[in-house]
Amino acid sequence: MSDPSEALAIAKAAADRIVNAKRLNACLTPPKDLRASLVRQAQAAHPSGVLYGMPVAVKDNICTLEFTTTCGSKILGGYHSPYEATAVAKLKAAGALIAGKANCDEFGMGSSTEHSAYGRTLHPSDRHRVPGGSSGGSAALVAAGAVPAALGSETGGSVRQPASFCGVVGIKPTYGRVSRWGLVAFGSSLDQIGVVGRSVHDAARVLSVISGRDPKDSTCEDRDPLRLPTVPESLQGFVIGIPKEYFPPDLDPGVRRACDRAIRLLKELGAAVRDVSLPHTPYAVPTYYIVAPAEASSNLARYDGARYGPRFDGGEDVRALYRHTRGEGFGAEVRRRILVGTYVLSSGYYDAYYRKAQQVRALIAQDFRHVFDRGVDLVFTPTTPTPAFKAGEKTDDPVAMYLSDIFTVTANLAGLPALSLPIGRIKGLPIGGQFIGQAFLEDEMLEAAYALERVVPAGDEV
Amino acid sequence: MSVTREQVLKIAELAELEVDEETLPALAEQMSRILDYVAQLSGVVASDGARPFIPGPDALRFRPDEVKPIPLALDVSALAPAFKEGFFLVPKLGQFGEE
Repeated sequence: MSDPSEALAIAKAAADRIVNAKRLNACLTPPKDLRASLVRQAQAAHPSGVLYGMPVAVKDNICTLEFTTTCGSKILGGYHSPYEATAVAKLKAAGALIAGKANCDEFGMGSSTEHSAYGRTLHPSDRHRVPGGSSGGSAALVAAGAVPAALGSETGGSVRQPASFCGVVGIKPTYGRVSRWGLVAFGSSLDQIGVVGRSVHDAARVLSVISGRDPKDSTCEDRDPLRLPTVPESLQGFVIGIPKEYFPPDLDPGVRRACDRAIRLLKELGAAVRDVSLPHTPYAVPTYYIVAPAEASSNLARYDGARYGPRFDGGEDVRALYRHTRGEGFGAEVRRRILVGTYVLSSGYYDAYYRKAQQVRALIAQDFRHVFDRGVDLVFTPTTPTPAFKAGEKTDDPVAMYLSDIFTVTANLAGLPALSLPIGRIKGLPIGGQFIGQAFLEDEMLEAAYALERVVPAGDEV
Repeated sequence: MSVTREQVLKIAELAELEVDEETLPALAEQMSRILDYVAQLSGVVASDGARPFIPGPDALRFRPDEVKPIPLALDVSALAPAFKEGFFLVPKLGQFGEE
């Protein structure tokens, strides 16, 4: 497509679809602003771009010039970023249209998109359930057919887990593959921008565009953008590891059946499938819930009501201003994580918690190295232990909520690329299967996902 | 481990975070539960001498030490809650205790 009138028509249709999905509370941009911006963007879009006319929603913790960036938080209510994320600038340069801001758990802290100051996002096929999180708005918009792709972000699985719950594809690239300039920081040694797409190809196209070097982000590798692989005829020559730790006895039986079927299909495609062990997997969630809150407590220190964002007055001195603004502006989950992070970094506890977590993190990364050094190309696992859970089911029990990330956090801790794709349904609810790849070998992961996606009856009950 | 109400208040003070009385008991209980859960790491055998894992490039690329303005679509004065003659306005400093 290179016709501007066609891009305009697509922009208007995308706005209609997003507005029609309003009941999900997945898009935070007011309909009027969304329509006006999409029309303006379509008129200015580059017709030669590889994503010309493609509407892409953007998680609300990624800075845009077109719309506010609130991170799902009251403390950034109405905030207009004075610059845009490199990923967003690359999308626009490729002709894509930024299709509004997607709801998320506040600052990316949550697994259900129930922790947004702007209300919870609903699961697209069951309003009593959660879409996952924290990029739940991005996943719900794609699953509802409002946009073909959306940007999300991951610190512990926040793209793959909602993609799994909503029945769409989610990719978390290798740490350093995509610039984080303009991604609001949560856990800096873990954060990555990722992509949700209705298919592996849609997600991969967007990932390819946003990847590559960026002089503004020194943690972004000096590499060319990801080149998309072709769809393979077979997986002959691939060695896929199945880690026993991801198939515990209490795994949801439907999830197990769907994974068993996917593994059988991988074999039929020609892949060699091997049992492997990642022995430190049980320690991934506790490790993550020390490292991430510690980094969050430092990153979120900047929100104090002094330089930007709303100010909640109520004290006679500057310290009272900080405390009142932060106490009023942050929601319960963010406050909890800031307190846990401050605690584990405080004098007397640092060695027992933070230092220990860093040591265990090294062991988790080493587990993967051992498996890949023994000739395994990719690891295949369930993305989540269960399908989408009910809204409110885990909000009073933070540890139960954290455990829904049990199969996703390892890739973040080890900095590896990972992808979730739909592999079946249980009672109508989607189930995701996950590939975890070697650093910067996203192309192998995409090849395997392309092949599996083509043969797996993802819409069928297992 | 059990986190007391006083410990929550002390941590909240370090974090510059106002915590209201009503939520204190639940917060102390939830923090205790989270810290109990993560404490299982103490049982993992890990070498003190092991190199910590740091994701990302092996060597960070340093930018030239030059001051270059980042083009901004909005002036900082437009973002600040209170701004006057090039300064962010805040209440007086007040008293900072021993910490």
